Amino acid sequence: MKDKIKLALAQISSKRENKEANLQKIETLTLKAKEQGADLAIFPEMTLTGYVVRDQFYELAETIPGPTVEKVEALAKKTGIHVIFGMPELSEKTRATVFNTAVFVGPKGLIGKYRKMYLPTHSVFEEKRYFRPGYQTAAFQTELGNIGLCICYDIFFPEVLRLTRLKGAQLIVCISASPALRRSYFETLTCARAIENTVYLAYVNLAGVQDGLQFWGGSRLVSPTGDVLAKAKYDEEDFVTCEVDYNDLRMAETFIPTLKDLRPELFDKLKECSELL
Amino acid sequence: MKLTPSILEMDFSEAQQRICRFIKEYVENAGTKGIVLGLSGGIDSATIASLSSLAIGGDNVLALMLPEKENFNQKDIDDAKVVADKFKLKTQICDISSVLEDFYKAIPVFDPSDRLCKGNIKARTRMINLYYYGNKLNRIVCGSSDKSETMMGYFTKWGDAAADIMPIMDLYKTQVRKLAVHLGIPEELALKPSTPALWPNQTAENELGIKYETLDLILCGLERFMATEEIANQLSIHNSIVEKVKVRWLANEHKRRMPIAPKIGYRTVGNDFRLPRHTY
Repeated sequence: MKDKIKLALAQISSKRENKEANLQKIETLTLKAKEQGADLAIFPEMTLTGYVVRDQFYELAETIPGPTVEKVEALAKKTGIHVIFGMPELSEKTRATVFNTAVFVGPKGLIGKYRKMYLPTHSVFEEKRYFRPGYQTAAFQTELGNIGLCICYDIFFPEVLRLTRLKGAQLIVCISASPALRRSYFETLTCARAIENTVYLAYVNLAGVQDGLQFWGGSRLVSPTGDVLAKAKYDEEDFVTCEVDYNDLRMAETFIPTLKDLRPELFDKLKECSELL
Repeated sequence: MKLTPSILEMDFSEAQQRICRFIKEYVENAGTKGIVLGLSGGIDSATIASLSSLAIGGDNVLALMLPEKENFNQKDIDDAKVVADKFKLKTQICDISSVLEDFYKAIPVFDPSDRLCKGNIKARTRMINLYYYGNKLNRIVCGSSDKSETMMGYFTKWGDAAADIMPIMDLYKTQVRKLAVHLGIPEELALKPSTPALWPNQTAENELGIKYETLDLILCGLERFMATEEIANQLSIHNSIVEKVKVRWLANEHKRRMPIAPKIGYRTVGNDFRLPRHTY
């Protein structure tokens, strides 16, 4: 396993309902990531289809593995780059059960996937109308280290990232489609989740406007002590590379020993109280 | 939450940037050649005209001035020209007086004393002109409704509310005034009383019966799910004032939505037919 890896935060504006154009962008930016010596290229939530596609999700969703994932697998194999991106996933067992999923592909093929657990259905969001929630957190042991996945609104729930960290993730990747009014929450929460778990956190958000919604971009890499190590532009497409140095985890974990100090008995209480809310 | 004027404060540079990006992306994605808008000499149309010019360049913005005899006001025309010059807009004057006269004559039951019905013909005639130019020149029609008017239903259905985009519809009137000043629109124009110009000497605040400074705070409280009593307490005004605004706020939802249809099919327009809105 490498001690240091280089990330490419590929903050794109997806073309709605245009998989071909979005796949082309994934390819172009993965090649750019390779040129710049990156190991992992990360794309936003619903990269493949755009976020505001409403009833068209049923038509656009694909199984994993499926045609799109096969294309990205071929790209990863050709370039030697790992890729994480978001897409609507169709269940293999039914015809209209869809998940909001993050896909993780490496040069040797599909590494794994994560189905969004917390589906926002308030304000401008209508995810529960279309998606079934996931039930598992995800942390994958890879040649780039142990990498966990989560999606957007999940970051408001510390238990999702805590569990991902406890499963061994040293870098948690959060892909997102966050509209502008929510910027300050995410800027706070990305740092908070990194600090409380002493973990690297890479946040990659959509940019551009979809159906009047401005996605604020601002993708970033946050260190385990909460420093913003790299940051992409607000609102516009951008491409930023940055380095994760796993050696820093030891320093962070000794200075902020939250993992050592965990109190498991509180989690039982948490479960008890949340059931009674 | 404190319901004070500061709640309506915002970073106007950021608002400008966001609205301009919205306009630019919409015009580009729609594959059109630009924008046509009505320039009345009032604050809302001056603001959308300047934002459109900043977004796509004044050469691509056609500002129609649509005066008519009954409501003619040289000051409004002069103010419109100031904005057009400052933001380098293309302009065209279309006098709609004769069209209006013909309309009145063609309606057997036309009642000149009913100024609201008559005024609505004016707003809809302006819309017809804007859409003619939009069609002919392959441009989108940019509307000037703000959030205060929209939430109060203070507009003509299929008249001034008919447009392809509404760049300032999420800003209350007091916010539009500040944005206008930020954009460099003369303060005198930004602060002059708003009017839909449906009849002589009509002003929005007189008709609504409330100052925008108070109205916007009430609307902002309702937007954020505050109870009417709480809004009244915080603003030190009688609850009946807030109630009156709320009744109007609720009653006018029909003007803000697609026309309603009885649900018969599998998916129904305006109800559960939920397709993405594209610009192509």
